[in-house]
Amino acid sequence: MKKLLCLLLAVATVLAMSVLPAMAEGAEINMFISSPEYADAVNELIAAYKEVAPDVTINYETTQNDYPTLLKTRINAGMTPDIFSTTSGKEIADYAEYSYNFAGSPAAEAMDPAVSAMMVYGDGEIHGFALKGNYFGMLYNKAIFEEVGIEFPRTLDAFEAACEKLSEAGYQPVTTGFAEWWVFKHVMQHFLDAASDDPAALVAAFQKGEAHFKDYPVLYDNFFRFIDLCVKYGDNKPLETDLAGEDAAFGAGKAAMMTGQGAWVEADVLAIDDALQIGFAGYPVTDDPAKSQIIGGSDQALRINKDSANLDAVMDFVNWWYTSDYGKAWFCDVAGVIPPITDAKVADMQIIQQGSELSATDGAAALSICYSSDSFNQAMGEAIQAYIGGTIDKDACCAQIEAKWVELDGAAQ
Amino acid sequence: MDKVQSPVRRIVTHTLFLVVIVLLACLYIYPVFLMVCNSLKPFKEILTNVLALPSHLEWANYSYVIEKMEYFRLFFNNVVITLLGILGIVAFSSMAAYILDRRQTRVTKALHTFIITPMLIPFQTIMITLLKFMNIIHLNGTTWGLGIQYWGFGIPMATFIYFNFMKSIPSEIDESAMIDGATTFQTYVRIIFPLLKTVTATVVVLDVMWIWNDFLLPLLMVNSSPSSKTLVLAAYNFVGSLNTKWHYALAAMVLAILPSVIVFVFLQRYIVDGVVAGAIKG
Amino acid sequence: MDKKSMSPMNRKALKETLLFTLPAVVMVLIAIYIPFVMSGYYSLTEWNGISRNPVFIGLNNFKTIFSSGSPEFVNALVFTFKYSALFIVFSNVLALALAVALTKEFKLANFLRGMFFLPYIMSMTIVGFIWKFIFTQGFEKLYELTGWGIWNLSWLGDGGLAFWSLVIVGTWQSLGFYIVLYIAGLQAIPKEVMEAASIDGATGSQRFFRVTLPLLGPSITTCMFMSLTNSLKVFDIILALTKGGPGGATYSATLDIYREAFQNNNYGLGSAKAIVFFVIVLVLTQVVLKIFESREVQQ
Repeated sequence: MKKLLCLLLAVATVLAMSVLPAMAEGAEINMFISSPEYADAVNELIAAYKEVAPDVTINYETTQNDYPTLLKTRINAGMTPDIFSTTSGKEIADYAEYSYNFAGSPAAEAMDPAVSAMMVYGDGEIHGFALKGNYFGMLYNKAIFEEVGIEFPRTLDAFEAACEKLSEAGYQPVTTGFAEWWVFKHVMQHFLDAASDDPAALVAAFQKGEAHFKDYPVLYDNFFRFIDLCVKYGDNKPLETDLAGEDAAFGAGKAAMMTGQGAWVEADVLAIDDALQIGFAGYPVTDDPAKSQIIGGSDQALRINKDSANLDAVMDFVNWWYTSDYGKAWFCDVAGVIPPITDAKVADMQIIQQGSELSATDGAAALSICYSSDSFNQAMGEAIQAYIGGTIDKDACCAQIEAKWVELDGAAQ
Repeated sequence: MDKVQSPVRRIVTHTLFLVVIVLLACLYIYPVFLMVCNSLKPFKEILTNVLALPSHLEWANYSYVIEKMEYFRLFFNNVVITLLGILGIVAFSSMAAYILDRRQTRVTKALHTFIITPMLIPFQTIMITLLKFMNIIHLNGTTWGLGIQYWGFGIPMATFIYFNFMKSIPSEIDESAMIDGATTFQTYVRIIFPLLKTVTATVVVLDVMWIWNDFLLPLLMVNSSPSSKTLVLAAYNFVGSLNTKWHYALAAMVLAILPSVIVFVFLQRYIVDGVVAGAIKG
Repeated sequence: MDKKSMSPMNRKALKETLLFTLPAVVMVLIAIYIPFVMSGYYSLTEWNGISRNPVFIGLNNFKTIFSSGSPEFVNALVFTFKYSALFIVFSNVLALALAVALTKEFKLANFLRGMFFLPYIMSMTIVGFIWKFIFTQGFEKLYELTGWGIWNLSWLGDGGLAFWSLVIVGTWQSLGFYIVLYIAGLQAIPKEVMEAASIDGATGSQRFFRVTLPLLGPSITTCMFMSLTNSLKVFDIILALTKGGPGGATYSATLDIYREAFQNNNYGLGSAKAIVFFVIVLVLTQVVLKIFESREVQQ
């Protein structure tokens, strides 16, 4: 028995030790964000800030797996990080009671309007900033298109004809990544933007249960025609091809076009073939070439904890990030991302260059994925997968998506 | 009737058996082979063809990862967490299982159910409140705090395994010890626990593998404190949202699990000698 | 016998029982029961898992589950039971067979045990990454080589086949765990018993079914119970391979609860589902445990 008591005593001592608080000096900023692929760049940013503000310590933590779950867990345990990430758009409201409105600050002023539009809460409050901007669209292999002698198709009929030609020339016309649920939201948003001049209002109508696929030919006919064509001319096992599979098919020059992706795949496909000539364009959504537009903006938001013990220090850091010379150059030179601010140079990457040119000449469509929650987007992806797999037909698929829109993003949320 | 096989036939069957089991094992670990194989490829070769052999061995993946994940510092964290966890699990579970098996009363039955039922609760359903509670009692954020938490998560299974094997130790053994004047605790420590070598080795093997390579609990508890991170957590930092550096991720995962593989090969030799055989020798 | 006051002997025994189990009980309480009960409270609320103020709504969440019939939850339960049934059979039969083979005395035995255990410690992200390529690139190669249609099926892209893929990879991944438990059980069988059986002229298979199997009772109970609880909680392997897809065909109960609580932001409803699921599993495992324990006693 004595040994047992000793052991328990030891446990009690250890427990007591933990209660002693760890004291810290100077301002501390706890930054817990997703996207570990930018860890090196963020660490460089923090090191640079250390020279500007030596008494501020930034504890940077990142993970991708289970990030949203972990964030909720932290918030509920009363451990809300000073800077955290959510998606932009719909989720801005979900976390609004924790996040700081920094409208009018130098950082908010410096932000690209296409980015800040997705950070708005209520009446002009700004509840987020971005680590990077993004471009969404279709990728194509310029060399293959040149060899076959066709232009990139900007209408659905042209898309079908192009697929046929590419197929005859021995190429896989398109690789789709339909194993990933999020590929569908990236494709769908282009059709939503083409279906209405005010996609935000259209999505809101869907969420109230007032809109229906049947009333929007761009969605009911064109979208499904596009999906059908992708299945017909796409990967051998469409529901099994994920992002890595798409990268392999496109990078190796096997597939001529790539759907559901954007600026982020450039580095990976170039790692396969560094001479790859990547073309970037909007989706063929209707019979009007002008409707074929790329999409720009930021689908991720960085949020500032409004109850942070060091709110001033956090704001100083964010303002410095968005307005200092180092900070402005960081996006392009260190992180190699699309700057989420207006006053910055554009990185020398193929998709980013074409994206910025295209949005200047043809305009960019709205980032309409952000009008819905990712809960809905995932359910939508699953419904379309079921359609592709043949377990439900088009009408059942539409009905399922409409129901999920109301259930997950409707008035109750 | 004489059923003894002729020597020739025996050798043939034995060779056949060896060939089959070795082939089976090779097929079985093919995916593991792929993991190691790809961890030694340049990024480009992973992206183009996962199944192909590397054109050359890219050891740079490993040297990069060792430095980047601060391998040796985190290795020490893993050792602390795993050792602390195992000590508590083995001590508390074997003790509990011993008394639960020897005293079959309504109380012990209820306690048995109480201790093993948590095996039925999916971890994901308690995540939010677990961190909240661990924060209140200050068990989060440190290696030793995490080690102690593993007691609670490991005890149900370990108790269950100990309990089921306890029956094979004849109760005459402890009765004779009691007659010699030993207390129950002395009997447990000096007589019973040494006899549980096989089961203890089994529990230790299974729990070392689990704790060393666990992801979710460390993610909740120590990811935020750089000083107490674990190897697997560091390895997961190479896995990105849409861009994963697979050559680094794979190398890091191989390095993270390697020590536990060595421990396994070393420890599983102790899963030998029947309990009862040991009892007869003792 | 005096029922009102315990004899000093019994009281001492009770004290000992409590002291011996105290550390285990306390630790389990702290790590699992208290968080579980705290989480259970949210089943009585409407809460998105984020806001500061959960709204108390009594038993409404449970009403929602039972009145709406919640087809997704029911589908997930059916999936889980089907998966569990197959997983239990496969993992126990294969693990026992391999354990018997690996306890034979031959040079490579130790090494081979290690090989069969390796998949158990591979991290799930890697398991998913590697297996997805085996199912795509690997099967494509095999189809080119053999021309057998089986390799050309979409093993992860078809709902029904994806179920089998999960069973196969799930069993593959955790088989080592059960092999270790069975090896420990086999080692506990005294060699004298086996030798006696050999002398009596029993053949290999007779020895296995008449001597080994009955003596393995405790191991079988342990492995059956472990495989039951682990397969009912199946989560990681699905997340790694199919994420519940294609088209939502492979949601397990735990994954459905996770989706409800964390993706759909209905933590209250998710907690209610978790409690319903817990009760179902509790009843199921108690029944299974009773059956096995009663059979062990008979032998």
